[in-house]
Amino acid sequence: MAFGVRSKTKESTMAFSSVQSLTLHLISSAFQRCRLSEQICRLSVIFNRSSPSLLQLVRISISDTGIGSCLEEFQDLKLSGEADSENWDGVLSVKTTSSDDNEIHHYQLNLKERGSSRRLNRLPSNTKNGAKFSGTEVCLAVPLNIDLLLAQITSFLQKILILKIHNVAIELVAENGDVPESRYEKVFLANQLPLPIVASNLELLKSGLEDYVVKHGNRLSTTCNSCFPSGEHLKVGVGIACCTKNHLYNGVMMEAVIVISEKQLTSTCPMVYGAKTEVLYFKNFSPYTISKASIKALKSIDWRRYGLNLRSALQQDSSALLEWENLPPYAQIDIVLHCYHKDKRMRLTAREKTQLERKLIREAVKLSLDDLKDKHVGVLLSAHALKIRSYAPDLAKTIAGLILSSGDSDFQGECFSLLGLQSQGLGTETVENSIKDKIVSVIDMNDKSTQKTKDVTSFLFYDDRFHQVDFEEMEYEDDFSPLDI
Amino acid sequence: MEGRPSNSQSEHVELLRKIREFTRAIVEDLSNGRSPTILIDRFRNYCKNPIANCYCSSDKSYGKEILTLRRESHVHRLDVLLRVLLIVQQLLHENKHGSKRDIYYMHPSVFSDQSVVDRAINDICLLMQCSRHNLNVVSVGKGLVMGWIRFSEGRKIFDCINCPNSANPVPVYVEEVKDIISGAHYILVVEKESVFQRLANDQFCNKNRCIVLTGRGYPDIPTRRFLRLLIEKLCLPAYCLVDCDPYGFDILTIYRFGSMKMAYDAKYMRVPEIRWLGAFPSDSENYSLPEQCLLPLTAEDKRKIEAMLLRCYLQREVTPWRLELKLMLQKGVKFEIEALSVHSLSFLSESYIPSKIQGGVHI
Repeated sequence: MAFGVRSKTKESTMAFSSVQSLTLHLISSAFQRCRLSEQICRLSVIFNRSSPSLLQLVRISISDTGIGSCLEEFQDLKLSGEADSENWDGVLSVKTTSSDDNEIHHYQLNLKERGSSRRLNRLPSNTKNGAKFSGTEVCLAVPLNIDLLLAQITSFLQKILILKIHNVAIELVAENGDVPESRYEKVFLANQLPLPIVASNLELLKSGLEDYVVKHGNRLSTTCNSCFPSGEHLKVGVGIACCTKNHLYNGVMMEAVIVISEKQLTSTCPMVYGAKTEVLYFKNFSPYTISKASIKALKSIDWRRYGLNLRSALQQDSSALLEWENLPPYAQIDIVLHCYHKDKRMRLTAREKTQLERKLIREAVKLSLDDLKDKHVGVLLSAHALKIRSYAPDLAKTIAGLILSSGDSDFQGECFSLLGLQSQGLGTETVENSIKDKIVSVIDMNDKSTQKTKDVTSFLFYDDRFHQVDFEEMEYEDDFSPLDI
Repeated sequence: MEGRPSNSQSEHVELLRKIREFTRAIVEDLSNGRSPTILIDRFRNYCKNPIANCYCSSDKSYGKEILTLRRESHVHRLDVLLRVLLIVQQLLHENKHGSKRDIYYMHPSVFSDQSVVDRAINDICLLMQCSRHNLNVVSVGKGLVMGWIRFSEGRKIFDCINCPNSANPVPVYVEEVKDIISGAHYILVVEKESVFQRLANDQFCNKNRCIVLTGRGYPDIPTRRFLRLLIEKLCLPAYCLVDCDPYGFDILTIYRFGSMKMAYDAKYMRVPEIRWLGAFPSDSENYSLPEQCLLPLTAEDKRKIEAMLLRCYLQREVTPWRLELKLMLQKGVKFEIEALSVHSLSFLSESYIPSKIQGGVHI
């Protein structure tokens, strides 16, 4: 859940513990209506404050030109805890129309009322005069610190851009009634970079995270040229997991994108996380608070297989923050997870959902790590591969020694040819470096997951236990000086 | 490292060719983006199932080890193997010899232990299908010989007959031993130098026309190869005298069957003809050894005996040896050969050995 606590009290009822979380939900719903319309849409979030004092009543208007909304969307909303006792009247004013409607419906709902009949107040509709359009406006007036709310919503919308939903333009406006020059206005557009017209969700997510990273969490309007003078510094891996074993869960998809960015060593830009990774979480096309179970799933991944030593995994705001022990200071890792249900009719218990999500998170992250390794040689090498790599210089030196001291020029020529070297005027160092590069390349290839699968097959008949017994026996026999035999 | 004429030129040429072929295969694999796959034959001269219908005596490999760049332990082993191979290539080029210890000290921090070098040398022998001496790698000889024998090693003449009770070192370059002349009736192999010296002091070889040999504990390769050479050339019976304890018995089996560590080369070093002369566990009663000469077997001794009883070759080829070993375990005691001197200092040379050989009390 983004920015606050929202819980499902019944299957379709949502309870909000703060007005802020309710506001974010209303913005997210408006965004979904725009997304589903598949037409170019506008989403406006406008705050209006009548006086500059901190906790004055703020009128919030959330309007969109997406598909119209249905009454149930609002009837299912409930307040709980603090939100219920907050100094707010609990009234939502809703105007909505679908493209097929002839009029604009107008309702008032009081979320603080308990009985459903008392909650809803139908107000006179407005005629559309034959015009064909759709949209919704939700208004509420709340006593809030506008600066805090503005920061939360800005962060929320910056994250929404990662989804790269192209047909929605979002504007965020804050007006102070008495001081016209204090007007704040910001536009959020997801379609700044050209993408294929028919791009999959995963492709969009990948592109969105790349943008997010190079703009330092979308806090900049353009790429940070100090850190990323060119796009080559990003290494990206993607993975998608869905449950195939149980047809009941078939509709749940988990997409993961991992970006490793290497900022320029000369960069003086302070806007980096350093040794920490922000894991952003989306659910059904909306920023969502990552659950403890999901953080547990992230912790349980065998990161060492990818050369990463995880120090801690904590929740920070709506995201998870993974802290690494061994990340170079110029490198940064960003991860985004998106879970969505293709089949909305699917009914799972909370426990089933948690288990499934944990499993899918692990799988999707692993797939994206593997994808990253496959695409970028030498990246995310396991601790094991790094150890083996440390032998490469010595191995190369000895093999070069065997070639160069062989005293057989034909043999040397044959080896140089295999190594792709010109025979004439070769120095020892050139031969050594060539062999070392080839050894390193083989080690890196072996470390890739695809190779690991093959290993299992090729060494099917290799039995280490057999060796173990034998060497014990040999040691047993060796109760004498090494010079003896 | 010592320069001297050694293996024939053609052997060197062939071995150097094999080393080049091996190197070329590694370079080819690497150039094709493949991990080099080094297959090393595995040999054993016994298994631990005394009733198995096994092939341990066949001198054939029973499997292969596969070294690749996928495991750190393999890569370290390969690193050591290649370093030793480079040294061997240089030795062969320069026609020099080096000891295992010389090799160890060329990269002590990498090799970390002599046994690591020993294993690499064995691996190279297996890969190149040769014996250690073919690599121009020799051990520091530690065996001793005396008695009715005369031979030459290169340009050096060993005339033991001239002074049959003086100890001479066993030749290190056994392949160069020639012109063996002997007037001996048998060869006596003793486990320990102390027993060898006792026999020398007692002028044993003056009174008995024989050759006495000791490996001074676990025998090294030159001692075993030299013994094997003498038996092949002189066709003499050979007897072995060891302490009546698990280590003595183990040493006896190494003379008879070869060591597990060098099982791949056992066929060139074992002496199937050797007979066990003593000391048998039953000797403690037959020669009335007093209680104080008998030491109780330790837990480690018992563990070693129990492990040796499982060796398949004992059941298959020397059942009486196995019965005596079993008896040692049952009695729970061990004793040294020197314990026989309780009767008199020269009991061993004047009575025990001659009577056993003449009476055929050996198994």
